[in-house]
Amino acid sequence: MNYSELTRRYFESPRNVGELSGAGVFRGAAGNREQGTWVQFDLRCESGTLTAARFLAFACPHTIAVSAWLAEQSVGRPVTRTLPESVHELRDRFDVPVEKMGRLLIIEDAWLAAAVPAIDYRG
Amino acid sequence: MKTAVQMNAARMPVYLDHASTTPVDSRVAARMAEVLNSETEFGNPASASHEYGDLAHSLVEQARRQVAAAVGAAAAEVVWTSGATEANNLGLFGVAQYYRERGRHIVTSRTEHKAVLDPCRELERRGWQVTYLVPDREGLLDPEQVAGSLRQDTTLVSVMHVNNEIGVVQNIGALGAICARHGAWLHVDAAQSLGKCPIDFAGLGVDLMSLSGHKVYGPKGVGALLVAQRRAGSRSAQVQLAPLLFGGGQERGLRAGTLATHQVVGMGLAFELASSISSTETVRIAQLQRRLWDGLASIGGVLRNGSASHSVPHLLNVSFEGVEGESLLAAIRPHLAVSTGSACNSALAEPSYVLRALGRGERLSESSLRFGLGRTTTECDIDTAVAVLSREVGRLREIAGAQPGKVPAAESGA
Repeated sequence: MNYSELTRRYFESPRNVGELSGAGVFRGAAGNREQGTWVQFDLRCESGTLTAARFLAFACPHTIAVSAWLAEQSVGRPVTRTLPESVHELRDRFDVPVEKMGRLLIIEDAWLAAAVPAIDYRG
Repeated sequence: MKTAVQMNAARMPVYLDHASTTPVDSRVAARMAEVLNSETEFGNPASASHEYGDLAHSLVEQARRQVAAAVGAAAAEVVWTSGATEANNLGLFGVAQYYRERGRHIVTSRTEHKAVLDPCRELERRGWQVTYLVPDREGLLDPEQVAGSLRQDTTLVSVMHVNNEIGVVQNIGALGAICARHGAWLHVDAAQSLGKCPIDFAGLGVDLMSLSGHKVYGPKGVGALLVAQRRAGSRSAQVQLAPLLFGGGQERGLRAGTLATHQVVGMGLAFELASSISSTETVRIAQLQRRLWDGLASIGGVLRNGSASHSVPHLLNVSFEGVEGESLLAAIRPHLAVSTGSACNSALAEPSYVLRALGRGERLSESSLRFGLGRTTTECDIDTAVAVLSREVGRLREIAGAQPGKVPAAESGA
């Protein structure tokens, strides 16, 4: 399997790996390890804005890279009911092969599981 | 000044995939080049009408004797092929076709190489029945399993000697006796054996044996099928084969086509060199394997696949708990050249069917690595491998939020 330069960079040196705790932190996870892909996001929200994000992933390099990129790029953005970029935009950005589209949907599910409950949080 | 090739070599990862293929021994390459460059050795070995043909023929026959001597066979029992895959195909289809009126049942195991399993599947499509035996959790077949699977219409049993993924050595001698008693022919894929453990073709009671040139520091594109001749004191019959190729009657009519003299010469010399490997080298490889296993085991959450007591020291197959397989391979690829399961399988991105047959779960099968040690492997290579894996497995486990011993049950169970 060949990976794009961006995928390899975020796979080899992912920032924001880990978990968050405390007030204003929302956690979402999707997939499962037994089936080969599991992703978890912790999002810290203050007044409708994401102030910190962390992720964990038992997954392929594409999934790790996209998760790491989302956790990095989302900070400072408003919390919404969508990913910071659509699944198709992420596919193009990271050259994700078509057979792995399902893994991007797992990322989306994990992200929204954390983000949607955070939308109305005003802590 | 370094050449571009040398500069590339300096950047290449540590090669620990000798079970997939081996570099050509420099002495072999030199001899092959001599043949290719010769003004007298280029003849067609089948051309009996002139000196050029006679000279090429003598080279081929010398190589035939070298291969035979290395594996305890007679020179006349060596049939040249393009490799072990063709040898396996010739053995399986050849026996099946020749004895199709006597019976259409074949016995093999689930952990055979695809070069045996795929011909078996094809034979099933053509009306044969195949029994696929399941080895125990260490990869070993019980000879009684084989005995119990034989039927009146069984014509062939095909079991490999050294498994290409886990290095386990099957008890071929016991199978030879069972097959001889029953009247079934025994084919053995021994592509991984030479230079790793002794082969005694005549003594094992084997009827057909597949060999490869490039697994023993010889060239790719050449192999052989050993076809047992009638021996004094053994069964009265001699195995017969229907050929796959027609068109010139070479190799006693079993394999038509002009022989590639330089390839055959290369394989002959490679086999001669491999058979003279000293016990010191075997001990060295065993020490390296122990060093590798000790280093990997110290990482934690590392499981060994296949029997440790019935295997060759050149192969080590392990699974890493709490690590996703594709990420593991991607992480180490810049540093280490190893295989995930079978090298032939790696492009398919599916869990190793060999490890699955041993009862390993899908996740642990996917996170397995096969280390193939060889003549060029050094302690430094082993230490590099351990250091890289220790770092990358730790990193991926951190990303996955998993620690060995704390991974979900679905991953840690076999």
